[in-house]
Amino acid sequence: MGPYDYGISAGSSSSSSSSCAGGKPTELDGLLAGAGYKVRSSDLHQVAQRLEKLETFMVNAPTEISQLASEAVHYNPSDLASWVDSMLSEINQPFPVSSSDLSDFSDFHYMDDLVTPPLQHEVLTDAWADQSAQQQQPQPPLQQQQLTVVAAIEEDSGIKLVHLLLTCAESIQRGDLALAGTLLEKMRALLSRVNTGCGIGKVAGYFIDALSRRLFSPQAVCAGSVLENEILYHHFYEACPYLKFAHFTANQAILEAFDGHDCVHVVDFNLMHGLQWPALIQALALRPGGPPLLRLTGIGPPSPDGRDSLREIGLKLAELARSVNVRFAFRGVAASRLDDVKPWMLQVGPREAVAINSIMQLHKLLGPDPNRGSPIDSVLGWVRSLNPKIITVVEQEANHNQPEFLDRFTEALYYYSTMFDSLESCTLQPEKAVAEMYIQREICNVVSCEGSARVERHEPLAKWRARLGGAGFRPLHLGSNAFKQASMLLTLFSAEGYCVEENQGCLTLGWHSRPLIAASAWQAVPLPDTNSLPTINDCVL
Amino acid sequence: MAGGNEINLNEAKMVVPLNTWILISNFKVAYNLLRRPDGTFNRHLAEFLDRKVPANTTPVDGVFSFDVIVDRATSLLSRIYRPAPADEAQPGGIMELERPLSTEVVPVIIFFHGGSFAHSSSNSAIYDTLCRRLVNMCNAVVVSVNYRRAPENRYPCAYEDGWAALKWVNSRQWLQSGKDSKVHIYLAGDSSGGNIVHHVALKAVESDIQVKGNILLNAMFGGKERTESEKRLDGKYFVTIQDRDWYWRAFLPEGTDRDHPACNPFGPSGKSLKGVKFPKSLVVVAGLDLVQDWQLAYVEGLKKAGQDVKLIYLEQATIGFYLLPNNNHFYTVMEEIKHFVNSNC
Repeated sequence: MGPYDYGISAGSSSSSSSSCAGGKPTELDGLLAGAGYKVRSSDLHQVAQRLEKLETFMVNAPTEISQLASEAVHYNPSDLASWVDSMLSEINQPFPVSSSDLSDFSDFHYMDDLVTPPLQHEVLTDAWADQSAQQQQPQPPLQQQQLTVVAAIEEDSGIKLVHLLLTCAESIQRGDLALAGTLLEKMRALLSRVNTGCGIGKVAGYFIDALSRRLFSPQAVCAGSVLENEILYHHFYEACPYLKFAHFTANQAILEAFDGHDCVHVVDFNLMHGLQWPALIQALALRPGGPPLLRLTGIGPPSPDGRDSLREIGLKLAELARSVNVRFAFRGVAASRLDDVKPWMLQVGPREAVAINSIMQLHKLLGPDPNRGSPIDSVLGWVRSLNPKIITVVEQEANHNQPEFLDRFTEALYYYSTMFDSLESCTLQPEKAVAEMYIQREICNVVSCEGSARVERHEPLAKWRARLGGAGFRPLHLGSNAFKQASMLLTLFSAEGYCVEENQGCLTLGWHSRPLIAASAWQAVPLPDTNSLPTINDCVL
Repeated sequence: MAGGNEINLNEAKMVVPLNTWILISNFKVAYNLLRRPDGTFNRHLAEFLDRKVPANTTPVDGVFSFDVIVDRATSLLSRIYRPAPADEAQPGGIMELERPLSTEVVPVIIFFHGGSFAHSSSNSAIYDTLCRRLVNMCNAVVVSVNYRRAPENRYPCAYEDGWAALKWVNSRQWLQSGKDSKVHIYLAGDSSGGNIVHHVALKAVESDIQVKGNILLNAMFGGKERTESEKRLDGKYFVTIQDRDWYWRAFLPEGTDRDHPACNPFGPSGKSLKGVKFPKSLVVVAGLDLVQDWQLAYVEGLKKAGQDVKLIYLEQATIGFYLLPNNNHFYTVMEEIKHFVNSNC
């Protein structure tokens, strides 16, 4: 074995190719891949050289190190070559410190306790919607593997319950419904003997119910009314940090993308109570150079009782914007499904910097629809046609859309056990109890629904990367600054046990080293011929 | 004094494969950014840069893993690695995670990852990969402990977590094997993990928990004195005396020095293990590791106390040689470990 024998990776990474002397130049070094670093075999010498340069610099100028450490923003450490290069260029020409960030806004309480800075400018806000006619300015990515993690089951009954659950799911998959029914009875009996306070025991009851539904009343709808959903969502928001993390991370990325733009337009794929937006409005208010004109288009389901709830939220946000002197305009777009939305409804102006914000909405488009072709493709298609400055995507980090029922069930059992476990650390009531109902609805949908009724079709980051990459988007990496702020906020506001992780330019939030939710940012890959981009003015109403 | 401003980087390049050089140099550079002169640690950047992998109950190369909570109060997690079962008797390939081992003896290796007490976690990619290799090469179950790290958690936190994990492992029925239905426990660790192995084994002596053997890979020991190897090798092979000092200052109780028994177990404040029923030890020392004199002194200390110790001295090995299977030292050591945990003496 010579000194430069690379060997074959024997590790857990299934994605990288092995590297032998004489391998193809685009192949990654298999052993470094097993250590989490993607380096092309053909680049090894160059990376080594540059590392050496960096090391020499560090030895000769040790005081510069602290600057590199505290001020530089790091991105995507898996791409070792880029990381080393960015540090070298940092040394030669230090990047300016990120001008605006959300670190001052440690308060997540919606609308209450807002610090409004005393400003004397005139209010330019027009509370209720109307777009100003402005000229539009047109504008600009790999692999991983499956994961399941389980919390320890301390009791024999707990172990039996899991075994029964999985056996029951398997018998349903095989079509042995009689056996499944018997197992359900057994499980209900066993449930009384299990510690339902935490771990598998806590969540088992919900899974038993969901299996029951699947078996005996598959037509029963899992979803509640629009109002109910909003209440559950709000309590889930309060009880645990997943949604706060989603909002915070997305806002951070949006803020950075909007840097230097005077007219910005955020399209929220699911407005709900607009919980995400006060923080962004405030951050824009405080940005050096002053706030831009902010337009927010909120998409949401139509209100059943004739109320225009979208408008109500818009008014509240407008009030807030007015109080901090941010010129603001809101438009509500009522649609029961995202693929009902047509781009002209968003009225994107020609010179606006557009941010598309999707918090746990894209997976709902993965279901089959015989009438419409592929909902996800059509939505991603029109998103791309808007040429947004940034698309922020947050999704459950889970593989709940596999073709085999048993695989989905098993994955869901472990995923939701972990999530329930994390909820145990919450002491707020009734938030915690209602948050459990929110999660229970999801479980019900994953387990007992099929076809177009099954909307909770979660897919992991690796799949979204492939999908978005294939749809003409490339990743915008979330860096160490976003990571740090997210971690700090977690420390301040949540129990120990939550962890933020960096995953090839994306950030995940998890519990006990199991990532549960993933945040990423994207932009459209520039089209070769920008003149061919349709402008909104071309669309006929 | 640090080895001058002229670090001869070429020396290290001569003795390790290129990808190993890149890996360890990358750590060296990154870790430089994390250690602040005032003794604090940039934990956020450390966690951001650390490459982590999730546990995976789907077998990869014959090994699957899952995380367990050893102690909820301290959020102490451990990652368990098991060989995939040969039979697929369970419905639909359901992985029964806590399936009992076998009637044949299966060694359970409690592993403490390295990182000089401050870096890495049990879900760090380099250690996840190493533990998987241990499972395959030694036909063992591996339990990798996610102990609390310095400087946020100084001595004795890491040892306490190690002890908690040892008790937990010993009390799992499903980890028992062999005709005597016992858990056959070995302790293993690299760098700071090797240091933890010694101290956890020491704690176990006073209990009825039997540790069958200790495996120390490039264990982290030190002392006030500057030894010959430290002076000779300072800055030559990825490591400096200065950084070693920083990590001891971060781990040891404030106001103490490197002759504290945690750092220097057989030093002036140390205790002889004469007459103590201490497990047999396998101590691996890399000839290009600047703290080797302390590791060799440790071996001497065990020998003087009449303890069973086997030294593997690898002349041309640097720190971290065991992280990638691209050198002879790696295979030599894996063979030794395999033999160590499978011989029932």
